[in-house]
Amino acid sequence: MTLIEVRDVSKRFRIPSVRRDTVREHVLDLFRPHPSETLQVLDRVTFELERGETLGLMGRNGGGKSTLLKVITGIYPPDGGAIVRRAGITPILELGVGWNPDLDAIDNIYLLGCVMGLSLAELRGATDEILAFAGLERFANLELRHYSSGMAARLAYAVAFRAVREVLILDEIFAVGDAEFRERCQTRYRELRAAGHTLLLVSHEPRTIAAFCDRALLLEGGRIVMDDDAEAVADAYVRLLTEGGGAAPAGGGPH
Amino acid sequence: MPEIARTDTPPTATGTAPPALRVEREGAHLAGLIWTLVRTDFKTRYHGTIGGFLWALLKPVTMFFVLYAVFSFVFASNPAYKLNLIIGLFLYEFFSEATKTGLLSLRAKGFLLTKARFPKWVLVVSSASNAVITLTLFSVALIVVLLVQGHPLRFATVGLFVWYQLQYLAIVTGFSLAASVLFMRFRDLNQIWEVVTHAGFFIAPIIYPLDILPERLHLYLYLWPPTPIMMFSRAVLVDGAVPSLAAHVYLAVEALVVLGVGALIYRTASPRIAEYV
Repeated sequence: MTLIEVRDVSKRFRIPSVRRDTVREHVLDLFRPHPSETLQVLDRVTFELERGETLGLMGRNGGGKSTLLKVITGIYPPDGGAIVRRAGITPILELGVGWNPDLDAIDNIYLLGCVMGLSLAELRGATDEILAFAGLERFANLELRHYSSGMAARLAYAVAFRAVREVLILDEIFAVGDAEFRERCQTRYRELRAAGHTLLLVSHEPRTIAAFCDRALLLEGGRIVMDDDAEAVADAYVRLLTEGGGAAPAGGGPH
Repeated sequence: MPEIARTDTPPTATGTAPPALRVEREGAHLAGLIWTLVRTDFKTRYHGTIGGFLWALLKPVTMFFVLYAVFSFVFASNPAYKLNLIIGLFLYEFFSEATKTGLLSLRAKGFLLTKARFPKWVLVVSSASNAVITLTLFSVALIVVLLVQGHPLRFATVGLFVWYQLQYLAIVTGFSLAASVLFMRFRDLNQIWEVVTHAGFFIAPIIYPLDILPERLHLYLYLWPPTPIMMFSRAVLVDGAVPSLAAHVYLAVEALVVLGVGALIYRTASPRIAEYV
């Protein structure tokens, strides 16, 4: 059964040459021209994700990977095309940043856990487990402002791994924390895969994609240029980097 | 369609859960999210202590004593001035505080907007919680004081007062829904609103009785939402008088229009707010 269908999805961002973020700037510049450039970040992207499948997503920086994940998750609306979601999605995106610094780890776990779909009862039962996964039991009552970026990221991944729904979307999951934490993440990933969860994994690391995915997509300039066996796509990505130069193609770009 | 249920092992398809069960789960999840936002907001603002909460009340209380000391001489002929002043002050403090936090709500919780798909209006609606707690405690204290002083309060007049506060909340929510999404685009909207609320303090009849102004101006003053709420609340609590039916209809329409327009602006602009984080 197809759980996620991405059909001809396009996404573009308008980048003004002069940014106007305030009412004052809009009023004062009312009669001045507002030139802007349009960045086509995703261009008619089409693919399907089957139940129980592990799909890798590769591409150079600025290729549109993060935007595609946000569009699939529903955080960004697409400008064209359609997305059909037949299952709940847990995204693990940009988790290294964004906490309430005035709250301790436990309250932040509740805040992020609720947003990710966990109920209060589940959170009450899972708080110790989340702290243990992150290796932060000793700092449970410490305000997040005193956490290092690595500690905050570990805590975020621990919450997200506990909140997993049917489909899990991971952005550079194995690049966080020390070797021990990365190993814990990989073990959890294998458990989820063995349990039949559907997984979409983004990575710049060809070995990671080859080892953890069945199939992979190569995204280049906002388009899918390859949809094949994970190892073949990982090889193609390496060739793209070595033969095609390091610069991101025109059209792609982070927002 | 987002779903709430998740499992570690094995996963289950969302579409296979019975609709009634899904609605129940989503309702429980929403309630949990609102409770967590209210609780953590309280904790952040008042350091999780009653002492912190009381400390925050010092501002309107101090304001009351200063204004009372200054203006009770000017309006010495009005025996209800003290009560009217404190009701006006606290109701305006609620409006000012709730609209400010409502306007800032989405940007203040911007770190959550890009994490997952969830009903973001919850962030806006729950932002008024601290102001609502303060207003509720003030209302209870006020009614107790009035009863102790021997004011002839009836259930109906207290009920009307509560009804006015609910409409006040609808107005604040409507404003917050619109302002919070617009603030994602226009980053000086909070400064503009601060100027408006400062000016609005003098438009609303807080420190002066409305009667001192010509009657032809009253209609314009009533367009500013805190004015009818204040005047009606004072009428039922202090004067023991019930405003006319037309006055009630006016307030209900005003509350519905502000809430409706706010919800419409939110609905139009909110799908793209994560792009402005």
